[in-house]
Amino acid sequence: MTQLALQHYLAVGAIMFVIGMIGFMTRRNLIVIFLCTELMFQGVAINLIAFGRFWHGLEGQAFVIFVLVIAAAEASLALGLVVLLFRQKNTLDADAWRELKG
Amino acid sequence: MLGLPASSGFGANPLPLAQSASYIPPALLFVLAVVAAIGLILLLPGRMEGPLRKIGAIVLLAAGLVFAALVAKTAGGMDVYFWVFAAIAVLGAVRVITHSKPVYSALYFVLTVMATAGLFVLMWAEFMAAALILIYAGAILVTYVFVIMLAAEAQPETVAGPGGAMHEQLAEHDAISREPIIASAVGFALLGIILFVIFDKATPLQQRADVAPTPATTQPTGFVPRGGTQQLGNYLFNKQLINLELAGLILTVAMVGAIVIARKRVVIPGRDTARETTAAGETVLGPATPVDDNPHSIPVYGTDNPRQKEYPET
Repeated sequence: MTQLALQHYLAVGAIMFVIGMIGFMTRRNLIVIFLCTELMFQGVAINLIAFGRFWHGLEGQAFVIFVLVIAAAEASLALGLVVLLFRQKNTLDADAWRELKG
Repeated sequence: MLGLPASSGFGANPLPLAQSASYIPPALLFVLAVVAAIGLILLLPGRMEGPLRKIGAIVLLAAGLVFAALVAKTAGGMDVYFWVFAAIAVLGAVRVITHSKPVYSALYFVLTVMATAGLFVLMWAEFMAAALILIYAGAILVTYVFVIMLAAEAQPETVAGPGGAMHEQLAEHDAISREPIIASAVGFALLGIILFVIFDKATPLQQRADVAPTPATTQPTGFVPRGGTQQLGNYLFNKQLINLELAGLILTVAMVGAIVIARKRVVIPGRDTARETTAAGETVLGPATPVDDNPHSIPVYGTDNPRQKEYPET
């Protein structure tokens, strides 16, 4: 068996998702935190397209289009929020907003 | 499988599932996950500097190579393009989260996006590859880089590092990561479980793997889509039309919302806030005039919330 299988792509997607997750938890710069969510989007997109290829359908690619739409909307809103937060505290440190913890 | 495209245009055969011989021992998988977690902990920006980070990079790279060799040995897949693209994507992702400068993180993310687009092309999703590069590398990343530059913090002073070398002093929240041990433990535990499921428990899918491809005769008359992109467009605009319109609506709402969120407060000359008190004692919102004589400036009223700080003068 020398051809690529579904598992190869699923493994790459899982690794990228987990790397993004670890980055989301460890980094403290607000912009890098949102970059890590984009990494997680990438991992999920790889999974979706691999499954669409696996079932030989177009649903996976259609899902990825909607994922891209949501990612674009999320990026614009999140970066707007980052600019707003930066203007308030003059820092990008996520720990500067510690008082928000419930 | 990745040879010449079939005449239908949507690639040759569907992706197969690896045979049940592709069994990676779970204990080995978890040991690899632990080793990779240790490597990543050492590699993440923290108080440890210099040689420890290099050791972490080597440990992480070794764990990744061992895992790749295991997958290649048990599940096959001797496609050089896949391995190159996957390696670039994963290494770029690691650099995104371990580089201590946000601009470099964004640039490494561009690299990851490019490699992911290559993986999409290998899966006959060439339209999605192009869309990924256009949207992510073209639009979203430019926005990120703009925000990184706009939100430039205090000028980093250069200090003399060990050995007399001058290097920039990073901000504290960029240089030291938060709870790398716990985060890596949680993340790699999840990764170990996911990989265990993928490589060991995925066999029940196999019985349904020989599902018939989507019948080409779903369109009754006229236009017969040729090629993956045409098929995708046909599918989107016939079966997913309402969802597509909703996606456009979401983008419009997000654009308006981003403008509303990120607009700047304009201070009215002569007054601290835009509120006025009438003779009857009630406060009304007075007319706000832009301070900079720019007719496109959006007047924003002030707030009486004492906890809210004033924006810095620009």
